[in-house]
Amino acid sequence: MSSSTLLLSPAELAYLHSSLSLTTPAPIRPDGRSPTQFRPLTAETGILPGTNGSARICFADGTEAIVGVKAEVEKTPVSPYEFVASTEGRKDHSEKKSRRKSKKAENDETSMDVDEDGDEADSAAPVKMEGSPDWVELSVEIPGLRDDDSGTVFLTSMLTEALLADGEFVKKLWINRRFHWKLYLDIILISPPLSYPLPLLSLTTHLALLATRLPRLKSEADEDPMFDDDWAAATFLYARQDSEPKATSTQSTVRAPASRPPITLLVMAVGDNIIFDPSKEELAVADSAVAVSVAEGPSSLNSSESDPDSTSTTTTKRNLHLLSVRTIDPPSRLTPPGVPNSVNATAWGTMTAATAAAAATPAGSVASTEGAAKHPDARVDETEDVVGVWKAPRGGAKFAMLGAMVAKVLERGGVADEVLDGLEGVELT
Amino acid sequence: MPITILQPSLAPPPKPRNDDASDSDSEGGADLEGDIAMGRPAKRARTQDSSIMTPGEIITDDPQWMRGHGTYVIPGAQSNTILSSVAGTLAKTNKLLSVRPLRARYTPEIGDLVVGRIVEVQAKRWRVDVGGTLLAQLPLSAINLPGGIQRRRTETDELQIRTFFSEGELLVAEVQQLYNDGAAVLHTRSLKYGKLRNGVFMSVAGVGGGGGVVRARRQAFTLDISGTDEVSGSEKIDVVLGVNGYIWISKHIEGEGAAAESSGPGITRIEESVGLNVYSSQNDIIPVDTMREIARVRGVITALVENGLRVDEEMVIKGYQEAVEMAKEEPDSADTLWLGGERGKRLTNALVGR
Repeated sequence: MSSSTLLLSPAELAYLHSSLSLTTPAPIRPDGRSPTQFRPLTAETGILPGTNGSARICFADGTEAIVGVKAEVEKTPVSPYEFVASTEGRKDHSEKKSRRKSKKAENDETSMDVDEDGDEADSAAPVKMEGSPDWVELSVEIPGLRDDDSGTVFLTSMLTEALLADGEFVKKLWINRRFHWKLYLDIILISPPLSYPLPLLSLTTHLALLATRLPRLKSEADEDPMFDDDWAAATFLYARQDSEPKATSTQSTVRAPASRPPITLLVMAVGDNIIFDPSKEELAVADSAVAVSVAEGPSSLNSSESDPDSTSTTTTKRNLHLLSVRTIDPPSRLTPPGVPNSVNATAWGTMTAATAAAAATPAGSVASTEGAAKHPDARVDETEDVVGVWKAPRGGAKFAMLGAMVAKVLERGGVADEVLDGLEGVELT
Repeated sequence: MPITILQPSLAPPPKPRNDDASDSDSEGGADLEGDIAMGRPAKRARTQDSSIMTPGEIITDDPQWMRGHGTYVIPGAQSNTILSSVAGTLAKTNKLLSVRPLRARYTPEIGDLVVGRIVEVQAKRWRVDVGGTLLAQLPLSAINLPGGIQRRRTETDELQIRTFFSEGELLVAEVQQLYNDGAAVLHTRSLKYGKLRNGVFMSVAGVGGGGGVVRARRQAFTLDISGTDEVSGSEKIDVVLGVNGYIWISKHIEGEGAAAESSGPGITRIEESVGLNVYSSQNDIIPVDTMREIARVRGVITALVENGLRVDEEMVIKGYQEAVEMAKEEPDSADTLWLGGERGKRLTNALVGR
């Protein structure tokens, strides 16, 4: 998918590309940011009173998104087979069923296994909690684009994929064997898409999910669910480690060992440089662009125990894992190429011989074109790269570059880490 | 620190305007004062509301008021109700009511220096985006032919119209003529005007409330960059502040560009000028230091706009010097170019002496 077209002149593109591909000392971004620096953003939560959780993020360049999360209780369809089965048997079968169902969402079979083992090890609950990808419904709205526009659909599927990839998220929606929460995520970009909106939408969704609270369950086991009317007693979907001890009720501590919603970051490469959070102009000269989804994995057992100590310990132990990588077709491929001076009929350089003729006869400029074509370098200049002339990148991302980009995201204390830290610091209201 | 997350804050109340504009005719263009003539000395009684009017809001139904810019009356209705047609602040000049928009598009005036981008190529003319409500047009007859040849435009020229300007390309031009509907006709018949290369574009169009580019004596100027060594010390940067809020910052080339001295060859001796690469889209080799300083100038202008200051030659030059000083004072010798957020505020505070 290519983001909406942006008109830039070949000279601008050539300049941007050369300044972004500088390696010593660092690439020069047009707004002066460092390669890993994000645009400053304004974030708040709890802006929509009618939702279970909501967030708004506004980038400094004026792009703004809001996300609302709504939850409703839904009956889990149970196959008649499961009623007759024994508890042991039911557990096994439903496990298999859920695997079959969420096969498409599972990228990483091994990490899934690890998750389950970890869950069994530390969960005291007698029944196994599992979810299905149908429990989450996500809709993206971009102004000026139709709902079924390929761009919107692509964004929706990328965000959904990140949420469902490790199967951890839907487990949180489990109420009991017969009921579950159904979550509706409405992601709306309220400004025109001034830059590729994926990172903004992902960060806003992350924040909204962090702020999402569900009413406290009063009923027990498999009865029809009854909830506490008191909103103040509602529990966070993603348990907060530090703030309120009230929120981390027994139920939620069992459910969530310090996991966090996924984030998707947009990373682009120009030359040998890896650049984060590209603006629209920067994306227009990208050699390749990749959307990388990461989640804070279920941290190791001792880290979940040492959680209450301080946030710093959790930062050092943050266990990022990769959920998905998607290449994004950068708009640079559709940009018009520049014309080298040696083949440019209107450039001064080739006009010297033909100027007199041009002045004399109206057909002079045609003569000059022919003159340029006879120029020995002309053919070379049309096919080869010329310094200072823009040429759209060809071919896909190189493997080494893809690997480097993913590694840079996952780096300990790297960008994803800092972004997660920053989002954690946002006050939830 | 790769990411800064700020708490949302309330928008500052629109500042009451102080009439200290450098020259009295500087209104208009992207600073959107229209014809309210706010630059004049306040001879007439004038009051101003700081509250914001919204489109369709009734301002008054008192028959004593006259309606000015940004207002309308419902045609046919016998009432004297005046309504606001834009979102902005109310300004009263004697008995004239007008609403100054918070943001609006550029209204061209004859003689304006504008930076535009070609969006459409037609048989005998280009359509140029200059940030106005309508596209401006640039006729084929209003450009210089390469080499400054004086002759009629022929069919051959029409056929190769894209070799002069094609879609997406940037140019600097002057508004030559206006149509009744407010559309502008541009011309580039001077050595100062033409295709732009070797630099970056930025748009600060539509910034209201005294910010943005204002009409000034000089819209294009050359800036000496303060390089770290002797070699780069000789480099210069051209800045073209289009009245429409489109800005071009590029490497300075002797005798070229909108900032070139007007003592060059006149229109009659145009063909004698040398080194003219009018329609080239090939960039020259630009030293890294120059690129850094271009990015710094861009950061300065962004900071000016973000903090609601006007953008003109004086402010840009002062801001740039301030930014260089700031970079030198940085404790770590990283020399960051980033001038957003807190750094931008510090820069502009130093500029206006707050």
